[in-house]
Amino acid sequence: MKAVAAQALAFLAALAAMPHSAPLWAALFPEVQRPLWESRGWFALLGWHLALALGAAALAALLGLGAAILATRGAGRRLRPVLDALFALAQAVPPVAVIALALPLLGFGAAPVLLALVLYAALPVLRAATAGLEAVPAPVRDAARGCGMGPLGMLWRVELPIALPVIRAGLRMAVVMAIATTAVGAIAGAECLGTPIVTGLANGNTAWVAQGALFTAWLALIAHRALRG
Amino acid sequence: MIRFEAVTHRQGGRAIVEDVSLEVPEGHLCVLLGASGAGKSTLLRMVNRLVAPAEGRVRLAGRDVAETPPEALRRGIGYVIQSVGLFPHWRVAENIATVPRLLGWPRPRIAARVEALLELVGLEPARFRHRFPHELSGGQAQRIGLARALAADPPVLLMDEPFSALDPATRRGLQAELRRIHRETGKTILFVTHDVEEALALADGLAVLEQGRLVAAGRPAALLAPGAAPRLGALFGEEGLAFHRLATLPARALARPGAPPPGTPALAPEATLKAALLRMLAEGAPCLALPPGPGFAGGVLHWVDLVRAAPVAAA
Repeated sequence: MKAVAAQALAFLAALAAMPHSAPLWAALFPEVQRPLWESRGWFALLGWHLALALGAAALAALLGLGAAILATRGAGRRLRPVLDALFALAQAVPPVAVIALALPLLGFGAAPVLLALVLYAALPVLRAATAGLEAVPAPVRDAARGCGMGPLGMLWRVELPIALPVIRAGLRMAVVMAIATTAVGAIAGAECLGTPIVTGLANGNTAWVAQGALFTAWLALIAHRALRG
Repeated sequence: MIRFEAVTHRQGGRAIVEDVSLEVPEGHLCVLLGASGAGKSTLLRMVNRLVAPAEGRVRLAGRDVAETPPEALRRGIGYVIQSVGLFPHWRVAENIATVPRLLGWPRPRIAARVEALLELVGLEPARFRHRFPHELSGGQAQRIGLARALAADPPVLLMDEPFSALDPATRRGLQAELRRIHRETGKTILFVTHDVEEALALADGLAVLEQGRLVAAGRPAALLAPGAAPRLGALFGEEGLAFHRLATLPARALARPGAPPPGTPALAPEATLKAALLRMLAEGAPCLALPPGPGFAGGVLHWVDLVRAAPVAAA
């Protein structure tokens, strides 16, 4: 945990130092005219990036967990292959394509990005939660029923707590995937750490692309390490 | 207390339990005995509505169990299963407190109850209260399973092969504990097993199932009396029938009055003829002393009487 905190601090320090790093980028990219990204504050980009990613991960968690609960009991069991295929398909479509397809309907901004990220990140939650709930031993279920727990009480007191470690692994994956993928949201005009990348590509400014890529990748790495558990 | 009235259960067109009628009087320990697949567990699980009979009904204290909502019904019936099914994420104390918590007992009452139950099942509260199920041996886990079933002080206990997965020594220990707990609490217990010796060691009443049908029911001594139920031979083993019969008869019935020769090993007053035989074999003793008890003046049990009496002992 200490190592992660140190990394996060280093990350924040680097962000804070960015406005003073013009000479460095000028040296690295001598052919670029304005090598330092200055149109938006780096902390504002980070804030939006995290809000988008965590919001999408939370929605994906709700969706995945809800579908897993549905698919592991009673008549819902028959839906399981359908739900799994649906979620797998949703993940198979690249987020960039989802954004492009959703733009006419949802317009520019955060909405199409959230949609793309949720579709992308829901599968690991569904798979993990289904596996976790199915792994609850049959005798434990039998005992819970025999003790007089109702279906909801059993889910809440017994099944979810026992499945929690596996579910947590799925959530972790969803968060890391969302943080790493949010950058593409910049093409829909959503502000995030991907904004310098997209703007840089549009203007032929490779320095901006490098700066956006650096912080996006770094943030995803920190998230991965922090949530490794 | 528990009454099965012509219950039948089918699965995929096949009858698992067929037209079984059986009554378990209050305070009795009734053993359902039969081979695997004989329908014992299915019959037992009808009592707490984990299985619904296709035909017939089950009455508990005179009331059709189908009239009580399943959750409420189950909170009033203790349930113990072979694989125990302790909740792995809860400590021993929380496991035992499952039903009292569902019933909304106040905390101090639950804590006191957990304490008393750990004592009852022979586990020191201070040492076991905070353990997790994975920190228990098989025998300890089943003791906790029994404590959990007894937690809300239900009048009826359903036990589905509770000791079958345990090693023989642990199993015998728990059988003795169960007899003691049954004596102390006076619960009505329905106990499923395929183990003949276990059945005879525990049963007040014995109900034998074969392919879903009840083939014999009654007191063990009566069921095993010579010629009483020829169909039981297969289950008990023809050869072993006489030996098992000894387990249903009190040793004092064959005792001759008089003082034992000095140095004769003494037997517990309520011991069965089987216990007496094993003791004679172990000690190499041709006779055993039976100490006097209530309604019994004391006497001596002789090997020759035992051997001669075994095949016709109940006659």
